[in-house]
Amino acid sequence: MSNNMVKKANAFEIMNHWALAISFFILVISGFGFLFHLEQLNSVFGSFSQMRDIHNWAGVVFAVSLFFTIFNYLPLALSISGDDITWIFKGGGYFSKKAAVPPQDRLNTGQKLFYIFILLAGMAISASGFVIWLMPEVKKWIYLSFLAHNIGFDLMVIAIPLHIYLGTLANPGTFRIMVYGTVPIEWAKKRHAKWVQKMGI
Amino acid sequence: MTNHWIDVKNADVILVMGANPAENHPIAMKWVMKAKENGAKLIVVDPRFTRTAAKADLYAPLRSGTDIAFLGGMIKYIIDNKLYFKDYVVNYTNAVFLVNPEYKGPGELNGIFSGYDEKARKYDKKTWAYQMDENGIPKKDPTLKDPNCVFRLLKKHYSRYTLDKVSDITGTPKEKLVEVYEIYASTGKPDRVGTELYAMGWTQHTVGTQNIRTMSVIQLLLGNMGMAGGGINALRGESNVQGSTDHGLLFHILPGYLPSPTASIVDLKAYIEKHTPKTKDPKSVNWWGNRGKYITSYLKAIYGDNAAKENDFGYAWLPKLDEGMNGSWLVLFDQMFKGKFEGFFAWGQNPACSGANAGKVRKALANLKWMVNVNLFDNETGSFWKGPDVNSNDIQTEVFQLPACSSVEKDGSITNSSRLAQWRDKTIEPIGESKPDYEIMNELYYRVKKLYQKGGGKFPAPILKLTWDYGEKGPDGKVKKVDAHSVAKEINGYYLEDIFDKKVEPPKQIGKKSSLCTNFVTLQADGTTSCGNWIFSGSYTQKEDKIINMMARRDKDDPTGLGLYSKWAWCWPVNRRIIYNRASVDLQGSPWDPKRAVIKWNPAKEDPNTKKLGVWEGDVPDGPAPPMADEKAGKYPFIMRPDGMGAIFGPGLADGPFPEHYEPLECPLQENLMSKHRVNPTIKLFYATAGPHEKAAEKGGLPEDIFYSCDMRYPYVATTYRVSEHWQSGVLTRHQPWQLEMMPQQFVEISKELAAEKGIRSGDKIAVSSGRGKVWAIAWVTDRFKPFHVAGSTVHQVGLPWCFGWQYPEDGSGGDSSNLLTPTIGDANTMIPETKAFMVNLEKA
Amino acid sequence: MTRKSLIISPELCIGCRGCQTACKGWNQLPATKTVNKGTAENPPDLTPNLYNKIRYVEIPSASNPVRWLFVSQRCMHCDDAGCMKICPAPGALFKTEEGAVAFNKDKCIGCKLCVSGCPFNIPRYDEKDKISKCHLCSDRIAEGLAPACAKTCPTGAIAYGDRDTMIGKAQSAGYQKLYGEADLGGLGILYAFKDAPRVYGMDEHPAIPEAVVFWHKTLKPLAYWGLGGAVAVSLLHYIAFGSKKDEEEVKKDE
Repeated sequence: MSNNMVKKANAFEIMNHWALAISFFILVISGFGFLFHLEQLNSVFGSFSQMRDIHNWAGVVFAVSLFFTIFNYLPLALSISGDDITWIFKGGGYFSKKAAVPPQDRLNTGQKLFYIFILLAGMAISASGFVIWLMPEVKKWIYLSFLAHNIGFDLMVIAIPLHIYLGTLANPGTFRIMVYGTVPIEWAKKRHAKWVQKMGI
Repeated sequence: MTNHWIDVKNADVILVMGANPAENHPIAMKWVMKAKENGAKLIVVDPRFTRTAAKADLYAPLRSGTDIAFLGGMIKYIIDNKLYFKDYVVNYTNAVFLVNPEYKGPGELNGIFSGYDEKARKYDKKTWAYQMDENGIPKKDPTLKDPNCVFRLLKKHYSRYTLDKVSDITGTPKEKLVEVYEIYASTGKPDRVGTELYAMGWTQHTVGTQNIRTMSVIQLLLGNMGMAGGGINALRGESNVQGSTDHGLLFHILPGYLPSPTASIVDLKAYIEKHTPKTKDPKSVNWWGNRGKYITSYLKAIYGDNAAKENDFGYAWLPKLDEGMNGSWLVLFDQMFKGKFEGFFAWGQNPACSGANAGKVRKALANLKWMVNVNLFDNETGSFWKGPDVNSNDIQTEVFQLPACSSVEKDGSITNSSRLAQWRDKTIEPIGESKPDYEIMNELYYRVKKLYQKGGGKFPAPILKLTWDYGEKGPDGKVKKVDAHSVAKEINGYYLEDIFDKKVEPPKQIGKKSSLCTNFVTLQADGTTSCGNWIFSGSYTQKEDKIINMMARRDKDDPTGLGLYSKWAWCWPVNRRIIYNRASVDLQGSPWDPKRAVIKWNPAKEDPNTKKLGVWEGDVPDGPAPPMADEKAGKYPFIMRPDGMGAIFGPGLADGPFPEHYEPLECPLQENLMSKHRVNPTIKLFYATAGPHEKAAEKGGLPEDIFYSCDMRYPYVATTYRVSEHWQSGVLTRHQPWQLEMMPQQFVEISKELAAEKGIRSGDKIAVSSGRGKVWAIAWVTDRFKPFHVAGSTVHQVGLPWCFGWQYPEDGSGGDSSNLLTPTIGDANTMIPETKAFMVNLEKA
Repeated sequence: MTRKSLIISPELCIGCRGCQTACKGWNQLPATKTVNKGTAENPPDLTPNLYNKIRYVEIPSASNPVRWLFVSQRCMHCDDAGCMKICPAPGALFKTEEGAVAFNKDKCIGCKLCVSGCPFNIPRYDEKDKISKCHLCSDRIAEGLAPACAKTCPTGAIAYGDRDTMIGKAQSAGYQKLYGEADLGGLGILYAFKDAPRVYGMDEHPAIPEAVVFWHKTLKPLAYWGLGGAVAVSLLHYIAFGSKKDEEEVKKDE
C-alpha cells in the first residue's frame, strides 16, 4: 500500500460491521421499548406491532451478520498465547498511564475476549429471539429463551457501550478502520506488531 | 305437578327417581339447590350416577324397570315401622274403605289380580269394588283392623316386597335400600315433608302409570299430598307439553281432560250420563260431577250459535272414536306401516327419531301418499325419503315442508310443569316465510272449509259450523291475522246470557252477558256459557269493563314466603298453586305444619261472598267449603275423586288396584322373581307370543316388532335419556353450533367392568344393536354405571341419549337416533312406549 | 368502582354449561367442529372462541360409584397478573375499573408471550395470533349488568358482585377461606372449595412462573442500570486515564 497505510478491514468486513451495529441499535431501542412500554417510540416505529416486525427482521439481519462476523475472525480469535495472558494480567494497559503490553496480533487480546463474548451472547440472544418469535406455544423453551434473551440483553447493553468507548475515545485511530478499513503502518506497528510482522511489512 | 317448581324449595327431603333435573331441567334445578341450602336432603335413585346424583346427599342405583319393586319395599318399610301419618291416612285416604272380600291380589294369584281374562289380556274389575252401606257410601273401618280394609290389603300385598327380594330384583344393595327408606319415610311426621320428582324414567315403561301410583301411595301414607314441599311432581319434557295435554292433543281426551266420545255414546245426554261420576256421600265434592257444564260449554265455544239445545249443542259434530279404538302413537304408526293412512301431518315433531322403534316409523312414512312436515328446520321425518338405507326411487310419498316460526316470533301462552300458564309477547317478526302454527292452521282451515263449501263431502258440518272467531275477518270470511288473545279468550269462555246463582234468595247475578267468564264455577250446562277449556277458565277474565290477561301478570309478591307467587301469571285450576291443599290441614282447618302453612282456616273472619264467618287464608283452597269437622258443610279434600278420598286402592287402572312389579318386555331375566307373570299381563302386544318364554315367535306380528328377552344375543339392559346440551330429538339444537360443539356425536355410556370385558376404551366407536336396529355410538367408559347383581348374576346396563339424527349434521357425523333400538310396546294404561328398559348388544365398530 | 368478582361454587354447579353458551352468545364467538372423545367435556380445551368451560372431574368416592365435580375454568383476573407483567405491548392487556384483565386486539402484537406469564394457562390466540380470553364482560359491567355467565347460571354457582361483599357472603355460608382470596394479589375469580384445590384440579399455590418473576424483578432493572453503568464507567475511565497513548507519546509527556 502506498501512503504508509495498511488495510486492516476489507469492504465486506466494514459493511458487515455496520449491519451488525445498526441492527443492534434498532434491536436495543425496540428492546427497551418492549421492556418498559415506551409508547414514545410509536413516533419512530408507528405502532408496537410494527416495532415488533422491525425488531424481528432486524434480528434476522443481526443473526446473519453475526454469523459472518464469527466466521470472519476465526481461527485467530480463539487462539491463545502467552502474550494474551500477559495482556490480561496487565489489564490491557488501560489502568495505568504507561501503556506497556506485549506485541498484539491482528486482534488484540481484548478484542479476542470481546469476540468470545459476542459469539456466546450473540448466539444466545439470536437463538432465543427466534424461539420467542416462532415457537411461543412451547412453554418450557419460552422460559429458557426468555431468560437467555434478557440476560443476553443485559450483558449486551453493558458490553456494547464499553466496546464503543474502547473503539473510539479510549483508542484513537481505531474508529477509522470501521469507515475506511485502513490504518497508518506506524500505528499498526505499535498496536498490532505481530500482525505487521506476519504480513512481512 | 300437584305442587309446583318453586315449592320444591320447601321440602325436607327430595326424592328424584325417574328423572334427572340437573341435566334436563337445569333452570328449575335451582329450586332443588335452594332446598338443599335450607337443609333439605336430596336422594337420587337411578340406574346411572347422573348430574343430579352428583348433587345428592344419597344415591342408590337400581336396574331400569324395577321401580315398583324398589318403592314397594319402601311401602313395606313404612307400614312395618309404623312411619305413616295415621290421622292423615285414616281421614283423607281410602285406606279405611272395605273392599269386596272376593278381591284377590297377586300374592294369592301368583302375579295377577282377581278377574283376569287371559285371552283378552284384560281384567273384569267387578271384585275391585268397595263394600257399600245402605246409603250407597263405601263402608269404612277407621281402626284399620278389618282384614278387608284397604290398609290391610295394602300391607298384605307389599309384605312380599322384602329387602332380600327387592335387592335381588333391583340390584340395589340392601343397606342402600334401608338408607333411602329411612330418610324418605322420616317425612311421615306432620312437620316434615317430602316431595318426589319424576319424568320419563318412570312413565316410559309398560308399568309406567303404576310406577307413579306407587309413589302416590307412599305420599298418601306419609301425609305429603297437599302439603307445601310435598306432592307428586312430574317434570314435563317440553316447555308447553303440559299445555298440549291440557288442551286435549291426545286421542283419548278433549280439552280439559274431558273423555273423547265414542261412537256408541249417541247423544250429549248419554255422554254426560256415562262420564259423570256419582257419589252418594254429601261430604264428597266430586268435582267431575260438573262434567255436563264443561262439555256443553266446550261445544258452545267451538260451534257458537250453531250449537243449540235443539241440535244437542252440536254433539253430533264431534269426532268419535270407534269402540275400544286405540289411537295412540304406537298404534297410529303401526296402522301407517300397514298402509292405512293416506296423509300425515308431522306438526312440530320428528317421529323418525322420537318414535319408539324408529326404523318401523321410517318405513311407515314411506307408505303415505302425502306428508306435511311443519317445523323450524327440516328433519329426519321430512327427509325420510332420502335417509340412509332408503332407495328414494321407491318412495311415492309427496312431502310438503311448511316452515314454522319459533316461540319468540309469536304471541301466546306456555303452560309449564307447575300448571302455570305464562303469556309471552312476540319480540321479533318471523324470519323468511315462516309462520306461527296458528296462522298455518288458519290457512289450512280456510282452504278445507272452501273445499267443503264448494264440493260438499261426507260430513261437512263439523268443519263448516265452527265459529273460528280468531281475528278480524276479511270479505271472504277468512281471518286475516290470527289474534292469539282471541283464542285465549275463547278458551277462558264467555257468559252468553246474564247468569244467576239461583241457590240464593234473591238470585244473585254472577255473570254479565258478553263478559269473559270469571272461572269454571260459574259455567252452566244449559248452553248459556261457552268455554274452550274449563280448566283454563279464569285465565283471561273481566272485572266490569277491565279485561285482564291473568297469564300476563308479573307481580312478585310472596306473602306466605312459600314461593306461591299467586300474582305471577296464572295457573289452573283457578290459580290454585298447590292442589289437594285441604289435606294440608287437620279436620279443624289448622295446618299440620304451621311453619309451612299452605292454607289456614280463620274462623273469625267474614267471608265477603257468603257473609258467613270463617274464611281460608293462603293459597286458593281446594274447595272453599269449611273444614271437614264442620258436620253440615265440611268436605273431603280430594275433590276430583268421586269418594273424595286419596286413592291408596286404585280400582280405575287397567293393570290393578295396587302397583305390582313386572319385568319390562325385554329384560335380562328368564322369570319375574315376584310371580309367575313376567310382564304386565294387560299390555297390548304387537308381537304375538305363546307362553311365558317370549322369544321370536313363528306366528303373528310384524318382524319389525320382534322382541328378545333373556336372550344371549342381546345381553345388556339399555336405557335412553336426554342431555342438557340438546333438546328432544335434537331438531332445533343440532342446528345450534354452540350446542353441537359441546355435544357433537351419539355416545353410549358403559361401565368400566363391561368395557374391560369387551376390550372397549373411551372414545372407541361402538356398534349398539337390538332386535330392531343398530346405531354406532362413541363409548364413554365410566364409573357412573356399575354392574348390577340381580338374582345371583351380574347384569350390565348401558345408556344412550336420543338427540341425534342422520339428517343433521349433513355429513352424518352426529350419528343416528337411539330409538332405532327401542321396542314397540307401551304402558298398560297410557300406551306410552317403553323406551327406558330394553336389551342390546355392543361390539367395537 | 370497587373491585368486582365472580365466586364459583362447584358444589352448586350442575354442569349444564349455560355459561359456555351464554359467553359465546354475548361475545358472538363462532363454534368449531368437535369430535366426541369419550367425555362430555367439549371443546376439550379453552380456545380463542371459548372463554370459559366446565371441566368434568371424576374422582373416587367412598359412598358412591364416583364423585363427580363440575369445575368452571376461565381467566382468574389476577390482581398481580402474570400476563400483563410479561406483555411487551402497552395497552394490549389492561385492568378495567372493576379489576378485570381485559384486552385490546388492536394493541396486541401477537407475540403470544402472555400464556407463558399466566399461572393458569388461560390466554389463547385467534387466527391473527391476537390474545383472546375472558374479559369479565367488561362491556356489560360498564352498563351495570352482570357478566353473561353469572346472569345465566341457574343455581348461582357463578355469582357476581363486589369482591368484599361476595367474600363476606361466602364466609357466612361456611367457606372459611376462598381459593384466590390472597393469591397473586387476590384473584378476581374466587372459588368456594369444600376440599383442597387439588381435588378440583387446581394448583394449591398458583404463582407467576419463577423465570418471569426473576426477569421482572432482576433482569429488567439490570437493563437500564447496566446501560447507564457502562456509559458512566466509560466516562469515569476517560476522566481518570484518558485515551491509550503509545510509548513515544508517554515518553513525550514525561
